[in-house]
Amino acid sequence: MFIINCPYCGEREQSEFKAGGEAHIVRPKQPTELSDDQWAEYLFMRKNIKGIQFERWVHSHGCRKWFNVVRDTSNDVIKAVYKMGEKPPTKK
Amino acid sequence: MLNYTNTITEEKSYSGLQMKEMKPIMKLIIRGKKREFLSSIGKSLNLLLPTEANTSSRSEKLTALWLSPDEWMIYSNETLSSKNNDYETENLLNDNISKKNLGAITDVTDQFVLINLKGDKIFDLFETGSPFNFNDFKNKKGSVTQTILAKIDVIIHNQNQNDANLFVRRSFSQHLFSWMNDSASRL
Amino acid sequence: MTKNLRIKTSKFIDETYKISFKFNGKTYFGYKGDTLASALLANDIHLVGRSFKYHRPRGIMTAGSEEPNAIVQLHNNTSRTEPNVRVTEIEIYDGLEASSQNCWPSVNFDMGGINNFLSPVLPAGFYYKTFMWPASFWEKYEYFIRKSAGLGKSPMEPDPDIYEHRYVHCDLLIIGAGISGIIAAKTAAKNGYKTLLVEEKSYLGGSTIYQNSEHFKINNQISSSWLEKEINEIKKIKNLEIKTRTSVAAFHGYNFLLARENLTDHLPLEQRNKKTRQRLLKIRAKKVITATGSLERPLIFDNNDRPGILLSSAIHKYANLFGVACGEKNILFTNNDSAYETAISLYQKGINIEAIIDNREEIDSKLIKEIEKNNIKIFKGYTIVDTSGYKRINKVSIMQLSKDGQKVVGSKTTLNCDCLGISGGWTPAVHLFTQSGGKLKFRDEDQVFIPNIYPSDQISIGSCNGEFTLDEILSVVPTTLKKFLNIKETDYENLEVQSSFNKSKRNIWLLPSDKVIGKTKSFVDYQNDATAKDIKLALREGFRSIEHVKRYTTTGMGTDQGKLGNMHALGIISETAGSKMGELGTTTFRPPYTPLTFGTIVGRNVGEYFDIFRKTPIHDWHVENKAEFENVGQWKRPWYYPQNGENMHDAVQRESKAARDSAGILDASTLGKIDIQGTDASEFLNRVYTNAWSKLAIGKCRYGLMLNEDGMVYDDGVTTRLGENHYIMTTTTGGAATVLGKLEDYLQTEWPELDVYLTSVTDHYATVSICGPNSKKIVSQIIPDLDFSDESFPHMSFKNSKIGKIKCRVMRISFTGEHSYEINVQANYGKSVWERCMEIGKEFNITPYGTETMHLLRAEKGFIIVGQDTDATMTPIDLQMDWIVSKKKYDFIGKRSLYRSDTIREDRKQLVGLITENPNEVLEEGAQIVADINKSPIEMLGHVTSSYYSPNLKKSIALGVVRGGKNMMGQKLIIPMKDKQINVTVADPVFLDKENKRLNA
Repeated sequence: MFIINCPYCGEREQSEFKAGGEAHIVRPKQPTELSDDQWAEYLFMRKNIKGIQFERWVHSHGCRKWFNVVRDTSNDVIKAVYKMGEKPPTKK
Repeated sequence: MLNYTNTITEEKSYSGLQMKEMKPIMKLIIRGKKREFLSSIGKSLNLLLPTEANTSSRSEKLTALWLSPDEWMIYSNETLSSKNNDYETENLLNDNISKKNLGAITDVTDQFVLINLKGDKIFDLFETGSPFNFNDFKNKKGSVTQTILAKIDVIIHNQNQNDANLFVRRSFSQHLFSWMNDSASRL
Repeated sequence: MTKNLRIKTSKFIDETYKISFKFNGKTYFGYKGDTLASALLANDIHLVGRSFKYHRPRGIMTAGSEEPNAIVQLHNNTSRTEPNVRVTEIEIYDGLEASSQNCWPSVNFDMGGINNFLSPVLPAGFYYKTFMWPASFWEKYEYFIRKSAGLGKSPMEPDPDIYEHRYVHCDLLIIGAGISGIIAAKTAAKNGYKTLLVEEKSYLGGSTIYQNSEHFKINNQISSSWLEKEINEIKKIKNLEIKTRTSVAAFHGYNFLLARENLTDHLPLEQRNKKTRQRLLKIRAKKVITATGSLERPLIFDNNDRPGILLSSAIHKYANLFGVACGEKNILFTNNDSAYETAISLYQKGINIEAIIDNREEIDSKLIKEIEKNNIKIFKGYTIVDTSGYKRINKVSIMQLSKDGQKVVGSKTTLNCDCLGISGGWTPAVHLFTQSGGKLKFRDEDQVFIPNIYPSDQISIGSCNGEFTLDEILSVVPTTLKKFLNIKETDYENLEVQSSFNKSKRNIWLLPSDKVIGKTKSFVDYQNDATAKDIKLALREGFRSIEHVKRYTTTGMGTDQGKLGNMHALGIISETAGSKMGELGTTTFRPPYTPLTFGTIVGRNVGEYFDIFRKTPIHDWHVENKAEFENVGQWKRPWYYPQNGENMHDAVQRESKAARDSAGILDASTLGKIDIQGTDASEFLNRVYTNAWSKLAIGKCRYGLMLNEDGMVYDDGVTTRLGENHYIMTTTTGGAATVLGKLEDYLQTEWPELDVYLTSVTDHYATVSICGPNSKKIVSQIIPDLDFSDESFPHMSFKNSKIGKIKCRVMRISFTGEHSYEINVQANYGKSVWERCMEIGKEFNITPYGTETMHLLRAEKGFIIVGQDTDATMTPIDLQMDWIVSKKKYDFIGKRSLYRSDTIREDRKQLVGLITENPNEVLEEGAQIVADINKSPIEMLGHVTSSYYSPNLKKSIALGVVRGGKNMMGQKLIIPMKDKQINVTVADPVFLDKENKRLNA
């Protein structure tokens, strides 16, 4: 189990959190304008990367805040955490 | 007249640990982001809300726990009468906060059960069921955490050395208290 | 009859404390400090069990957790029985009873031994090849195979012991308290690290602590004396916690480790009651030092598995630590210097050594010189080609090795013995390191895998890192520690170390024999009876990957997980396949390192703590009034209230009738309640529900349906507008937490601009729901100050009020179709309100009803239950609830999905009512619905989702989902059951009071 550094509460065990899938998928502002294919792209299509992945997590048993995590899925090392609305860190 | 029925009726005592429910204790969840929210709370209650994560503040009558950047719990330091449930603090904040659209005030007096623990084995008990690291927490007076104990969400407030308050949702409280007693009996 | 092989007092054995124990029904004696293994050996008992497949007699082979053979059943046929206990680990106690496993009728005469003679027809993969076909026969085969397979017997009674879990957080965890671990512990703790040192044995100091030879000295003291002083010192350090009898089972990522602390297994049975037997430590360490030592390798030759054959290091330990001789005519067989340490130790204690057989031809070290000085015969350049003795070794046959080590040459010599010590060099115990994700490298010079790449903040030190000799450890470990712990100095600089060990070794994975391989039984995995021949067969049959060979031959798959033989299996594979050892990799070492009891794994999550349950504020009343309970999510909800021995059906019929005829009362406290505040609260509700909210007047309630973004129904409930910017939303009982989570998600991530705050108040309120034609009469007596007239208090509205001095909130809403009210009051007054209702309702025969009646009543009205009549594939249109989907709103969660090509299909499964031809026939929920029973393959149109006998309509009613059901009104369909077909007609899902007259009755 990981240790996740909640940007609000600090380091906590993974069991206090829930994962929320891929980050930075913005809900379309005008869904009605989209074709079936475009809507399906938003609704269903997710990357599943072996390597660096940007993910959403929520500190569900703590402050209940959502935030973003950069995780290497090949070894579970968390490279960065950042708040919702903040820019994702660029590659170092 | 309605009768008042709390959930935990017994006080339990073990070597190095005493546990009992404190009731009725008024509890409010207050939410807000604006600067006026913080200052208005401060003026209304004569209590500065803690803005540092995992900390608390205290006035003569009230204690405020940090729960998230826009959420606090305020609870009364003393037990109140169970004869009525009209709370002065709630009314005051409704007028000064809710009605002015500065934030939200929600009465959670019975949403949470407050279990007070006393003794030098408080954290030994917590360590049997919580993944939280209490090493620094237990040495810091006033520290607060929301975490999991025996798979149940809890808020723990380290009021003083060997004196902690634990908040748990009412529907879970009997189950948790039973688990705590089971665990405490072998500490 | 039995001999006493206790040779000399040892300070680890308390000879003043005699302990009696039983093995296979016979009473023996040992001393405090003995393991079962040392006590048995002192009584000259080697034969302990039978092997898994061939039922060959097997004895004690090691002195530690790597033991493959000597595993026993403890306390057979009692509630405390435990299988597969290693006799080398269990400490004896008064009342210990152990028995051999895998043998019948006894370990001395085992019927299964016939498999040994059948072994030519039981090669690797025998079961796979023979019992594969025909597949339908498997059930028959399985019965017989299971009967003869399996090691111990699992307990049949509840475990009387208590197990616990504990979370531990430390700066540094050190695994293993051998010399390296002790040095690390002292260094770290003295430098301020909050340190935890765990050791699987009952004593500290590893193998150095019984090293009493003049050949190994530190600062001119014998190494054991030097270490003893260090141990005494570390016991005084405050921020160092030491746990013995604690073995690390798993090393996960992020330095998360699981260890089992054994608290009572060494105590007499009567001292164990009410104490915690074992504790699972869940350790979070900032840094980890692995100092798990190394395991001696066996040697692989024909018949290398007989009782009396032990690792040379085990013989050494039994002599030095326990004061026990493993035999009176000892032979040692080695390819390195370790066996000479054993020999010197035995010699000094007066234990006879017949000979030493050494693979190496040219050897020269201080140790060997001392042996030669004492006239012990050494056969240099020889190997053992065979052994004899069925239940105890009595002879070895030796031959000279060819120069290249591939063959044996010359003539055979036979030597008598009753004990053979074997030493094939050392394997670093890297299991935990690799579990953590560490990568190994192969060191050619001594053919070992050692840690290479560390995945977390950890380090391996001492012999588990390939530092085998005393001088190596004392020069390398302090340097490693300084770097790892970021400190300048240790107490271990400039030590004067004397170590006579010469590292030369002649590594031959499979020793040659004068027989062809097919005729040999050279065991690689003792517990699973996998031989070198089996491994070669697997390679011949085309298996190449080490993981496949492992599974085909079962090498390394027993309770010992191949701790002894895995390296040899790899060696034999690489030699046979002509590949390089390092390139072949290793099999994966999986947790646990040593087996854990189920008790330890589950801890206190048993009995009433198996799962969490939640109680409503009125729970005690339900219990007092004999309710049967149903689990709904984590809640205990009253299911029905049987009276006078009623069964469920009768109780539900009575409750349902009473609710419609007069008055029913339901504890609805479990419904999720979310307090919504903020200037954008109305806009927020517009976005999360399918219908419109802006125009809902203050004081009014509205039913809402919530979708997922894919358009499928997710939750439903009534939301009440308490003020301009203040609502209270109710959710389904099971959905409360996930709905709040989902709403928070949208607020925080998609719509952070909205001024809305959500707070759960589910537990703050008790909710008492009273329905039926007399409900108004009852509530108006409870709250006499409130005007309950339809004009002032119409359906779908709410009022704040007080009962005495206690604030309450009354809603006029209905889930049954009856005129009904919900009284919400602060939870601690809930039970009192309920009791008032019961008292006042008495004259109206107020009847408490549970979830089953609630389900029946709402089904009569065709109201859905999310999760019962829907799954994650039903849109509101599928539910025939088009009326609740706003056409005007520009957007809400799931809107766009409602006109995807898939969701607008006419032939989707749609919710309909079902009426049976026979009004007394009640359908089974989940039953399939078809149109044409003769079609092949039969076409499933849908299934029954809710079904009841309605006492109010006096007929069976059901809801179901049927493909294209909307357009099938009146059509006849068939429900095929096991023994009959039931004819049904598709109907409107609203069975009762379509005009909603009763709501205002």
